Amino acid sequence: MIKILVKNLAVLTALLVSIAAIAQDKVPLKTKLPPPLFVGTPVPLNVTNLERPTKAKRPDFLVPAGTLNLAKNKKVTASDNNPIVGTLDMINDGDKDGNEGSWVELGPGKQWAQIDLAKSSNIYAVLLWHFHAQARVYRDVVVQVSDDPTFRAGGTTIFNSDFHNELGLGAGKDLNYVETYQGKLIDAKGVKGRYVRFYSNGNTANKLNDYIEAEVWGKPAV
Amino acid sequence: MHTDEAVNAYIVGQLLAGETYTYDPKDRHGPALTALALPLAKIQGAKTFSDLTESELRLTTVLAGMVTILLFGAAVEMFGFLPCLIAALLFACAPLPVYYDRYFIHESLFAAATFGLILTGWRACKRHSTIQALLAAACAALVLTCKETAVLHFFALAAAAIVFWLWNLRGKRLVGLWRPIAALVAAAVFLLLSVMLFTWFGSNWKALPDLLHAAPNFLARAGGEGHQKPFWYYAQLLTGGWSGRLICGLACVGFIQTVRRRSPSPYGFLAFYALFLAAIYNLIPYKTPWLALNFWLPVALFAGLAIESLWRVPKTYPALGIAIPALCVLMGAVAAVLIAHDTHQRVFVHPADETNPYAYAQTPEDLLGLPTEVEKLALQDSVATPRIAVIASDPWPLPWYLRHFSKVGFWQPGQRVERADFYITSTEAADQYRDQLQDFHPDFFGVRPGVLVVLWSPALK
Repeated sequence: MIKILVKNLAVLTALLVSIAAIAQDKVPLKTKLPPPLFVGTPVPLNVTNLERPTKAKRPDFLVPAGTLNLAKNKKVTASDNNPIVGTLDMINDGDKDGNEGSWVELGPGKQWAQIDLAKSSNIYAVLLWHFHAQARVYRDVVVQVSDDPTFRAGGTTIFNSDFHNELGLGAGKDLNYVETYQGKLIDAKGVKGRYVRFYSNGNTANKLNDYIEAEVWGKPAV
Repeated sequence: MHTDEAVNAYIVGQLLAGETYTYDPKDRHGPALTALALPLAKIQGAKTFSDLTESELRLTTVLAGMVTILLFGAAVEMFGFLPCLIAALLFACAPLPVYYDRYFIHESLFAAATFGLILTGWRACKRHSTIQALLAAACAALVLTCKETAVLHFFALAAAAIVFWLWNLRGKRLVGLWRPIAALVAAAVFLLLSVMLFTWFGSNWKALPDLLHAAPNFLARAGGEGHQKPFWYYAQLLTGGWSGRLICGLACVGFIQTVRRRSPSPYGFLAFYALFLAAIYNLIPYKTPWLALNFWLPVALFAGLAIESLWRVPKTYPALGIAIPALCVLMGAVAAVLIAHDTHQRVFVHPADETNPYAYAQTPEDLLGLPTEVEKLALQDSVATPRIAVIASDPWPLPWYLRHFSKVGFWQPGQRVERADFYITSTEAADQYRDQLQDFHPDFFGVRPGVLVVLWSPALK
């Protein structure tokens, strides 16, 4: 009896979520995930103030229908024009594999990489893979969106785990996270802008800044 | 500081605190390294574990490396001047020995003692000298009290001696090789020194039965225990970089030349020793990069022999006149540049980088920020003596990095933990203490490649 009730309740919940999504013209974000390269360290961190690594498949994230990855093969610039490993175009070439040859490595300390979406766009989600061959945490990860390529006037911050304000962009309240093959999904809440800038400040293994892939999911602003 | 170095440092710290050395048959190897490091640390003014510094501890292994280099002076009679000069230079400058000679682990001392054993053992047989036999016994005791792997080296040395006698000396009668009294005295010295060190000068006799228990433990470890590597691992490590390829290439020339000649020179013995040692180490699945230091002695000497042979070619073929010395000088210059480059990169520029083949499960630089962070946050919160609770099944090398804090406790996951100002947990343990950690802010630190700990500090107001 309870089993049937639970089953019906689950079906009903799924139905309601789908109806709600359709009503708002929303669909689950579909991205192709790379194969996982390590098992082990991302263990259940079931503590409320610590981000829980996504061991199982991440729950669907809903975005408006017609949302695309606007970042793919667009122009990339960075604070380090001579990466230690790889080239800047690797950040948005669609290769999310965690093995060597798939990432670009920027120099030590505070660095940023920036994608020009070519047009001002409404951004709903950002997916970021720094490195996923082993458990690592990248320090002071900040993601900003702006229509100004220089970000001089500041941008809209959609993620900030720099809680000591090392980067000088303001102290963040977002939690550190362990990198996995599923990447970091950031809810951009439809923020408008043409340029997306990713900051970081080394990681728990070394002082370097790696980028395997960045996806910016949105729609060109009308 | 590598985890193994941190463990050795902690043992020195215990002895500084007046505790007795206790031999552990499961891990941590023998007492020789600690026995030498303790007086050196005291001379440098260390009184407690927290007084110790990396350089104070590493001085012991650096000195052991220097002894190896100096021993080539005593080896000239055995291996010739030029090969010894070249081998000494290779020990002093090549990346592998330079890297591991400053690591506070047993390998550098072990390699020095093994070289001493070969030199004095050869002389004892050659000169029938009782003093040399006693020195050989002392060296053998030092090898054994360094690491239990000494047994493998004793086996390789004994097997090499037998094959050398059969193959190179064609089984000829060795008149007076065995002097019973000298052999007995040497055996007594070996036993006396070994017992003295393992029992820590008679204060822990339990070490002797424990030593017998070490064999099954180390046999199990030989199976790998997470350190399994392919058969060719050491070859790959030794031939890494252009300098490695050049040195190993020359060593192969020297080795082949020796084996082909079937000469009764010490090189014949060294060739068989290298062969047996390589077979043993390569067949054992458990492999760590610092064990490659044991191959460096034959590699360096055979490389030196190859260069000496090339240098002597004009004597046999005068037509080659100046060409061969010029080639040797050119090769030497190229080798010097390659060695300088590789040593600079591996030892000084990227010592803890994962791309460095010598940096094995190395503590990343990131961890150096953990004590600094605790100090900074404690100062911000006006906590003069912060209480730190570490909860992890394997907390190493944290005891080393937290040695300057006076109130540090270590707990195993699942144990009840006292209230603290800061918590440091393994990622696995964090989940079990969610209520206790509720008001704390987490920050990750790397302890080894792929292994993280979480520092929980009072949440920022």
